[in-house]
Amino acid sequence: MNARLRQIGTWIDRRLGVRDLLAHTVLHPIPRELESPMGWWYVFGSASLTFLLLQILSGVGLALVYVPSADQAYESLLYLDYEHPLGWFLRALHYYAGSGMVVMVLVHMTQVFLQGGHKYPRELTWCVGVVLLLCVLGMFFSGQILRWDPDAYWGLAVAGSMAGRVPIIGPDVVHVLLGAETIGAAALSRFFALHVFVIPGALLFFLAIHLWLVLRCGVSAPPVPGQIVDRATYDRDYAESLKRGVPFFGDAFWRDALVSALAVIVVVVIAAVLGPKGPTDPPDPTLGGANPRPEWPFLWLFALLSLSPREAETFIILVFPLLVIGVMFAVPFISNRGERAPSRRPVAVLSVILIYTTLGVLTYLGFTAPWSPRMEAWTADPVPVEIVKRSTVPQLVGGSVFQYKNCRNCHALDGVGGRRGPDLTSVGTRLTRDQLIMQVSNGTPGGGLMPAYGKQISPAELSMLVDFLVSLRPEGQPAAGWATPGPSLGAQQAAEPTYAKQLPPPDAS
Amino acid sequence: MTSARLLESWRVAGLLFLLTTGGCLDQMPGKPNPASRPKLPSEQTDFQVLFARSCSGCHGADGKLGPAPPLNDPLFLAIVPDEVLLDVITRGRRGTPMPAFDRRLSGTLTAEQIQILAEGLKTHFKPTLAGGDAPPYTGELSTQPSAEQIARGEKLFASACAACHGDSGQGSGDEDTAPGRVNDPALLSLFSNQALRRIIITGRPDLGMPNFAETDGRDSDFKPLTSEEIDDLVALLAHWRGRPQQVASNMGPGE
Ligand code: HEC
Ligand code: HEC
Repeated sequence: MNARLRQIGTWIDRRLGVRDLLAHTVLHPIPRELESPMGWWYVFGSASLTFLLLQILSGVGLALVYVPSADQAYESLLYLDYEHPLGWFLRALHYYAGSGMVVMVLVHMTQVFLQGGHKYPRELTWCVGVVLLLCVLGMFFSGQILRWDPDAYWGLAVAGSMAGRVPIIGPDVVHVLLGAETIGAAALSRFFALHVFVIPGALLFFLAIHLWLVLRCGVSAPPVPGQIVDRATYDRDYAESLKRGVPFFGDAFWRDALVSALAVIVVVVIAAVLGPKGPTDPPDPTLGGANPRPEWPFLWLFALLSLSPREAETFIILVFPLLVIGVMFAVPFISNRGERAPSRRPVAVLSVILIYTTLGVLTYLGFTAPWSPRMEAWTADPVPVEIVKRSTVPQLVGGSVFQYKNCRNCHALDGVGGRRGPDLTSVGTRLTRDQLIMQVSNGTPGGGLMPAYGKQISPAELSMLVDFLVSLRPEGQPAAGWATPGPSLGAQQAAEPTYAKQLPPPDAS
Repeated sequence: MTSARLLESWRVAGLLFLLTTGGCLDQMPGKPNPASRPKLPSEQTDFQVLFARSCSGCHGADGKLGPAPPLNDPLFLAIVPDEVLLDVITRGRRGTPMPAFDRRLSGTLTAEQIQILAEGLKTHFKPTLAGGDAPPYTGELSTQPSAEQIARGEKLFASACAACHGDSGQGSGDEDTAPGRVNDPALLSLFSNQALRRIIITGRPDLGMPNFAETDGRDSDFKPLTSEEIDDLVALLAHWRGRPQQVASNMGPGE
């Protein structure tokens, strides 16, 4: 029997020729210093890998039940949570192992950086690692959207406005990403494809390269203060040290396995105790109290957005992430020689502390930040009674149009409503009639912030809407522009739709 | 640490793992409690919740004092036929901001929920007034109102409406009491004739507009408006609008 199996194995390997490769992989020598307790620093990469395997397995399990369609996604998650045996556990496991993967990848990167593992000749390994981090974050992001609850709307809103700001091709990117100009069913299908095909494909591809690079360039020995990386001598010294090396399949392997097993146990226990995450409220876009939050790896960005002035938004949403990614790629090229020991690299250590403190504080703030786009359907928030009471008939109709066109999703009245755009309670004191017409018809120039309503609103609706907006001002305050009649008044009349010409000014106070 | 000892601790870890997973998972605190299962929006059957989520944005928190005509209005509820409520909520009023709510018309509510809302309006807001002497909810409006009808409408307008709305509906000067202009074609194009008729009948008690019979602010010889007189007034408004029926907004709810 055994002989027969061996025969088959040999037959296959004669054609496939992987036996050598495997043996090489398993037995490749690593520096002997890793047998010291320092070796425990080198376990995080393989722990990330273990989580990845767990994710693939649990992900396949979930995909067997999950329905990626807007009207059934949520229900299939409820089915998993409440009816399918241990479905809840699978969901919880997938979520916490995913979180664990992000944590492990970050810890792994931090360890590599602190111990100078990114320096010559492992720059490329680091860069591919950055790509892997982006893939993992991409998985997290797209995964959150599959939950299709208010948090998913948040994610989509940000993805949409992020993409919408890319110069020139922005609108097209939005279209590709969301499958439409607005968030809807098409977006869910796209993100499902991203989550189960595109990103995992990229992830596995780059992972293969990463592992290949690890084998080829070797595992770095633990740093020793005073031992300097010098391109001229490093390769020779390293090859020399490997001659005294130990095979990977030995202590190092068992250490990795032990930590991985522990990590899995921790995640299993957390999943069993805390249970699945969400889905939170039903995906009813009209929910009044919905307070969507992004997933924790993105909370810091969320906080940054809500704390910064609106003018900085494009920068934060588009330029800043690109900068951060650029810096991460540049790290091994900025410093790829010299000391590796953290004790001799105060700047590196300080920046790590600084970055993690900032991220920590921002993440904490992210839990309470108010930045909240709500994207669809009629808002449930009533028009404040005070406004209704002092409104004329046209203003009342304008108020209905305001609700009907979902302006409230982004704009608050008396503090109630979306926070994406400014509160409009006193917009009548800031903007004149023609400015308001411009704002509503054209939206924010360049797109991204406020959609242009020009094509989605009839002239009659626009006229009433603007009547309503002009009336939005605290008692006794004059409308913008009316106090100083001048050339602008003429322009105002010109901007007026023709059918209103024969009538007196709307609200000649 | 030797490989053997590492191997040993690994075995312990494996055992621990088996213990945690072994069978008792179903009793773990993480298992979602069926009692806290969120309700799907389509499963929501509570009138108040449905109304608050879908209607209060326009019709007001308690069905009044919103920008759209009040639904919490005893006279309105006394005269409006049940089928109309059902139909309006299902299909909306084309060309007005009243959206279609039926899921099949890209709305958000199921037929059952619409039923709950339509019935709930009457049971929840309680029509206290018998609509006995009020004109019927639906009237008759010829698609081409005659010149005489419009002239009759103008006379009625002068006696029943002009005090607040101005002689030709342009609104009166005083900002505080003025309800503003009502002769604006744009404005009128966002009202259905049915809503115009209904508001003439019920007034807007929440905002101080008198109903068809109340005399406040009107001439001393004012008599409650009859159904035909209201038709004449609607004909006048339709004439001001420039079109017999309201135009469709290009983004109006589907049919
Ligand atoms: C997707 C979110 C969004 C929606 C929906 C939206 N807006 Fe805006 N709006 C914004 C943002 C963001 C700004 C600020 C940036 C700017 O001025 O373009 C803004 C600015 C404005 C301003 C200028 C306010 C000021 O004080 O300068 C007005 C007026 C306005 N919006 C009216 C409307 C109306 C009316 C609607 C509905 C037809 C609407 N908005 C729908 C996001 C939105
Ligand atoms: C976006 C604003 C808006 C929302 C949301 C809205 N309505 Fe309306 N509704 C209107 C307007 C405006 C009218 C008047 C339409 C017309 O001119 O006929 C109206 C008319 C009606 C009428 C007919 C009243 C009459 O006088 O004949 C009923 C009934 C009604 N709405 C019920 C509802 C219900 C129930 C809901 C919630 C499911 C709702 N509406 C949500 C704006 C709205």
